[in-house]
Amino acid sequence: MTVGRETCSTCGDVALPGRVREVDGLEAVVEVEGQSERVGIDLVPDARPGDLLLCHAGIALERLEGDRG
Amino acid sequence: MKYVDEYRDPALARSLAAEIASLVTPGEVVRVMEVCGGHTHAIYRHGLEELLPPEVELVHGPGCPVCVIPMGRVDDAIAIAETEGVTLATFGDMLRVPGGSGSLLQAQARGADVRMVYSPLDALELARREPDRHVCFFAIGFETTAPATAITLLRARAQELSNFSVFCNHVLIEPPLRAILETPGLRVDAFIGPGHVSSVIGSDAYRFIPEEYGRPVVVSAFEPIDLLQSIAMLLRQRIDGRCEVENQYTRVVRPEGNPRALAAIAETMEPREDFEWRGLGVLPASALRLREPFAAFDAERLFALPGARIEDPKACRCGEVLTGQIKPWECGVFGTACTPERPLGTCMVSSEGACAAYFSYGRLRRPREEAGVGA
Repeated sequence: MTVGRETCSTCGDVALPGRVREVDGLEAVVEVEGQSERVGIDLVPDARPGDLLLCHAGIALERLEGDRG
Repeated sequence: MKYVDEYRDPALARSLAAEIASLVTPGEVVRVMEVCGGHTHAIYRHGLEELLPPEVELVHGPGCPVCVIPMGRVDDAIAIAETEGVTLATFGDMLRVPGGSGSLLQAQARGADVRMVYSPLDALELARREPDRHVCFFAIGFETTAPATAITLLRARAQELSNFSVFCNHVLIEPPLRAILETPGLRVDAFIGPGHVSSVIGSDAYRFIPEEYGRPVVVSAFEPIDLLQSIAMLLRQRIDGRCEVENQYTRVVRPEGNPRALAAIAETMEPREDFEWRGLGVLPASALRLREPFAAFDAERLFALPGARIEDPKACRCGEVLTGQIKPWECGVFGTACTPERPLGTCMVSSEGACAAYFSYGRLRRPREEAGVGA
């Protein structure tokens, strides 16, 4: 059993697209599957509201291509 | 939801299943290993095996990071957790993995301060909020998860925190793949490559598989349509006489990977000489440890760890499951002495573990396999 979500948070399966709602320094609030989460945007420091980010284990790995705005 | 709904379209799934059926030669079985535990989970959750012709046999690989952690490392984590004044933070699934002397959850019941987090950044925040305690993050995961630990270490250094450490158990995907490819009597004809590991390391990282071992690879995303499309791409390579790395997950994976994530890993971590893998034994240069400049955050230097090597329970056949030699139900304790509620082996712990996925979703498949269809 995995706590919280159906899948294990260590696994690539939960690298999910999250839409940026707001940015505060190196943290962003993203909406992942209808829920708000805080993620570190150290790897995508130019992320801005509206971007779609691939999120895993509390950080954004990268921006999904061609989906800005 | 964009990037999800369009990859679960039932009509498209049926059409791809028909295409796959048209690409096989009757009676000629093609064995496809999905390396990633996330793929295993998705295959069972969506019942994809039922859509495939008997000529396509799926073999479940070693790509669940929870499942490959040896029992000795769990005991080391328990030793850290039971140190006075220390909080051990880790991902939920690690709490239930049995070590040689119980699990972290059992250590918690005995009074150890063990906490579940979703991110190493949460562990860092705990350390910041509780300066009187030392917070150690028990880090596991492949190259997908290592960037989060790397970012956390960089922030810990920038914040000059002295009450935070990482017990690093990050592992690399190439060494276990090589170990599987060098298994005598290998029963795998083609590989579905991990999707999100590849978003970090890039699809070019698998070129050694076709070039040195003569097996095709398709890097795949995780939705039903993605996986069916990847299987069709592998079968088409066979028909065309090609053997190469193809990328089905182009919306995320680039050939060269993610340079920023790779740089963060390289700045904070370096390969170990070797690392023990459950089921695969000791593999050279197969895991990461913290680099010297991050020694102050390295739990292996800060704590006296037992470091014992513990044999798996004799009845548990996780090793053979992880290398695709047997199906979960062929293990004598599957579903009896070993269940998701009381796991004996790691493959039954995480929902990505082949045994847990099979136990939860796939038992209807068993009569078909026992009847010899697809064997």
